[in-house]
Amino acid sequence: MLVVDDEPQILRALRINLTAHGYDVQVAADGASALRSAAAAVPDLVVLDLGLPDMDGTEVIGGLRGWTDVPILVLSGRAGSPDKVRALDAGADDYVTKPFDIGELLARVRAVTRRRGTPEESPTVVIGESLVDLAAHTVTRDGKEIRLTPTEWHLLEILLRNPGKLVSQRQLLHDVWGPTYARETNYLRQYLAQLRRKLEADPARPRHLLTEPGMGYRFRP
Amino acid sequence: MGMARGQLRIYLGAAPGVGKTFAALEEARRRAGRGTDVVVGFVETHGRAATAALVEGLTVLPRKTVEYRGVEFTEFDLDAALARAPQVVLVDELAHTNVPGSGNEKRWQDVDRLLDAGIDVLSTVNVQHLESLNDVVAQITGVPQQETVPDEVVRRADQVELVDMTPEALRRRMTHGNVYPPEKIDAALSNYFRIGNLTALREIALLWLADKVEEQLAKYRRDQHIEDTWESRERVVVALSGGPEGDTLIRRAARIAVRSGADLRAVYVAGGDGLAGTGSTRHLARQRLLIESLGGTYHQVIGNDIPQAMLDFARGVNATQLVLGASRRGRFAQIFSRGVGTTVTAASGTIDVHLVTHEEVGSGRRRSAAQTALSSRRQVLGYVLALAGMPALTAALLPFRGELSLTSDVLIFLSATLLIALVGGFWPALIAAVGGFTLLDFFFVAPLGTFTIATREHIFALSVFVLMALMVATIVGISARRTVQATQARAEAQTLATLAGSVLRGGDPLRALLQQVREAFQLSSVTLLERGEEGVGPDERNDPGDWHVVASEGEPCGSPGAAETDIPVGDDLSLALCGRTLPAADRRIVEAFAVQAAVALRQERLSAQAAAVRPLADADRMRTALLAAVSHDLRTPLASAKAAVAGLRGSGAVFSETEREELLATADESLDRLGRLVANLLDMSRLQAGVLGSLPVPIWLEEAVPPALDELGEAAAGVGLRIAGDLPAVLADPGLLERILVNVIGNALRFSPPDRPPTVGASAYAGHVELRVVDHGPGVPEDAQERMFTPFQRLGDRDNSTGVGLGLALARGLAEAMGGTLLPEDTPGGGLTMVLTLPEASTGTQE
Repeated sequence: MLVVDDEPQILRALRINLTAHGYDVQVAADGASALRSAAAAVPDLVVLDLGLPDMDGTEVIGGLRGWTDVPILVLSGRAGSPDKVRALDAGADDYVTKPFDIGELLARVRAVTRRRGTPEESPTVVIGESLVDLAAHTVTRDGKEIRLTPTEWHLLEILLRNPGKLVSQRQLLHDVWGPTYARETNYLRQYLAQLRRKLEADPARPRHLLTEPGMGYRFRP
Repeated sequence: MGMARGQLRIYLGAAPGVGKTFAALEEARRRAGRGTDVVVGFVETHGRAATAALVEGLTVLPRKTVEYRGVEFTEFDLDAALARAPQVVLVDELAHTNVPGSGNEKRWQDVDRLLDAGIDVLSTVNVQHLESLNDVVAQITGVPQQETVPDEVVRRADQVELVDMTPEALRRRMTHGNVYPPEKIDAALSNYFRIGNLTALREIALLWLADKVEEQLAKYRRDQHIEDTWESRERVVVALSGGPEGDTLIRRAARIAVRSGADLRAVYVAGGDGLAGTGSTRHLARQRLLIESLGGTYHQVIGNDIPQAMLDFARGVNATQLVLGASRRGRFAQIFSRGVGTTVTAASGTIDVHLVTHEEVGSGRRRSAAQTALSSRRQVLGYVLALAGMPALTAALLPFRGELSLTSDVLIFLSATLLIALVGGFWPALIAAVGGFTLLDFFFVAPLGTFTIATREHIFALSVFVLMALMVATIVGISARRTVQATQARAEAQTLATLAGSVLRGGDPLRALLQQVREAFQLSSVTLLERGEEGVGPDERNDPGDWHVVASEGEPCGSPGAAETDIPVGDDLSLALCGRTLPAADRRIVEAFAVQAAVALRQERLSAQAAAVRPLADADRMRTALLAAVSHDLRTPLASAKAAVAGLRGSGAVFSETEREELLATADESLDRLGRLVANLLDMSRLQAGVLGSLPVPIWLEEAVPPALDELGEAAAGVGLRIAGDLPAVLADPGLLERILVNVIGNALRFSPPDRPPTVGASAYAGHVELRVVDHGPGVPEDAQERMFTPFQRLGDRDNSTGVGLGLALARGLAEAMGGTLLPEDTPGGGLTMVLTLPEASTGTQE
């Protein structure tokens, strides 16, 4: 795991915490050395600060995305959503805003490092009182089967296969409706609302199918 | 139809809740109490207890149940009403649309049937349901009305009664839950009841009704062939002669008009021969502008008989008041023909005539005319007495020449001369004295019949006689002059007193002053000029480039040189009077005016300066408050975190596991608090510096609110959510919106009693979406509501876990940065409601 930040205190705290949780941690204090270090030994995950002394974090993302799809978790002091959107669009997998809770950071780290596209690991997922069987394409709630439309299935599957991870609106629209629908965020909202009505205990206060307004959606197991 | 049509009485209201149904029910009860057969055909009580109580005791027709698409509706049962055939039926909500399948499409058609059947109907309608007003009302309120009633139906009603209530009172009723129960007041409804909306609706209702009233009046007058004016609305007509006094008349008339809410018209009667009238076109042009600027209209009519033409015009426009200038002609001229004023007053009939003595105008003339001590009448009388009286006296005394001594003769002549001196002053007295002397000498002093005087004693007596006459005449002259001076001084003092008063009282004393000078001295314009900075020597007084106009009444004179009279005040100010050269005597008063004008100008500038300085002082105070509050609130969590961590690191102390845990938790919580505060402070300063990055995207509130509640943690679990899924998206920056929601909902949570958590509701209207965060806490008095949004002004300082009071200030700033608003309102039944309004995302973003 490669942690990139120009703040020595943060680097130290992250190194100790992540090592204590069993990760093998490399650190880099600027963009150039981060790119060098990643090229020398490909990490399983990059935790990246956006404000670096030599180049912007989004450029680092671009540099990495040129040759690897290693998961990138952005750690940013910039709270503004334009920065987050830019980073996500550049190829980051998720973001955590400083100041962050170490527990949340670890959860996001676990989410983005979980290998994608491996339904065998968890053929069934529990959402509240509903049980989703990804292999059999069935949803049951209190023993009764719930019918989902193909589009609902498609959406739900993408979210469930990326547990804990923020899936951007753009990606969902692209994967489910196709490249020409990248701006139809209204579709997403309606389908997610339907999914919540069918699966969540309290659709108005969802506990599992969460919205990050303006960004995307996240399945919280 | 042979049967007489029933009478329709409609209660018209400006908005729901003003009490139309209530009024209709009261009328129904009143009629029922008189023994009329009244039944209630249909009444919607809206769950209002007072209304329901009024229905008690009245016969209520059962409603008809109509099924439509599987849902049951209850409707007014027309057939039952016709069958029952009472004298009066009360049918609420005239504009109601009947459920398909229940007979007539509209309720007003049902009412029409009742009227045809000879049944009187009491009904109600809201002004927004009138068809012609539908668009206007929708524009104002943003709520289109589906249910309308043709204006004709309401206009045709035999009686339309306006049920009126001030917007403030209606809102108070709403707040007390008298109109709708609290849970039913959603955003759209509350939006509808804004003061601005209600005022506009009320005005519309009043105007509509006024129209109807005028229409009825006109019809009635036509039908009855009535020519007298009917005072439906006050209308003031001011008659102009074309002279300069017209300005004063117009102003006076405008004041009368304003007081009675009347409209104002000016009329000038031109000669019937087609030639221009006697008036000066210059004055008339100016007066035309003046009346138009005062909101009146100018009219010119042609007629040989000026009073008659004037009255014809006044009657034609339904004038109630006519303003005329008092006659300027002398009494002599009035003997031969009655003045316009007298003639008009005699023939005016129902129109009130105001004869305005233009005193201000006259005062200029009065002073200039009164330069000689005694009035010309007295002087003429004096000369007549002197020239005719003395010979007459001589003739009268001649028969007694033998009986009276010279002393008596002299005394009698002296008395006559003194009398003449008293009446006519010096010159008549001189003539009388010399004449008397001559007559006495010729007729009474020996030798008689000659001008020779025999004895020295006689010469002495006659000299004394002349001397005394002249002395008395001088004294009379002096006292008369004094009297005139005193009168003049009193007039000046009065003018000055009025002037000083107006400077003290008026909102714009400078203009008031200039106007007064202009009126008092009959000038075309009065201008206060100031010399520019670069102006140097007094020799440049006449260079127009150096002077600029500070204030002016009338067309300003550009420089002191251009004015007929120029009164300097100090080096840099000058009062320029145009239109008439002032006599020297008036200059003195004008000088006082000029000084007053300078004082007023200085006063005006000082208060402007004070107003400009106030924000700076406020900002300074605010900075001090900020420093104090921020340093306290930053240091407190910092200190506790530091204490906890330093304690753990320090050697010497031994902590148990739970103690360690507690210290760490303390540090964690304190740092969280610090983090929140720093984030708010940063956002606030970014907001104030105008560098807040905001990227508005379409966001659906039903999706945006739950994450904010999540962030607020366990405390927000009870918050009630009432956000419909079919609301349009708002255009907002997701991050900023979350900060607003967290702050506003967090605030509501803090002040909510534990058993009544706040609720969050939303609704859309007119291109906006309103989010209402309703709490049932202690509420905030109206005068303190705005103060909540000032940073560092948290109301009540007991609870120091709530930060420095930045939250609401920040939330409002963020809302405004995204083109929205955040406004406080009273929650019906107590508490505070925060209304966040954001622009609806246009559908264009989803193409």
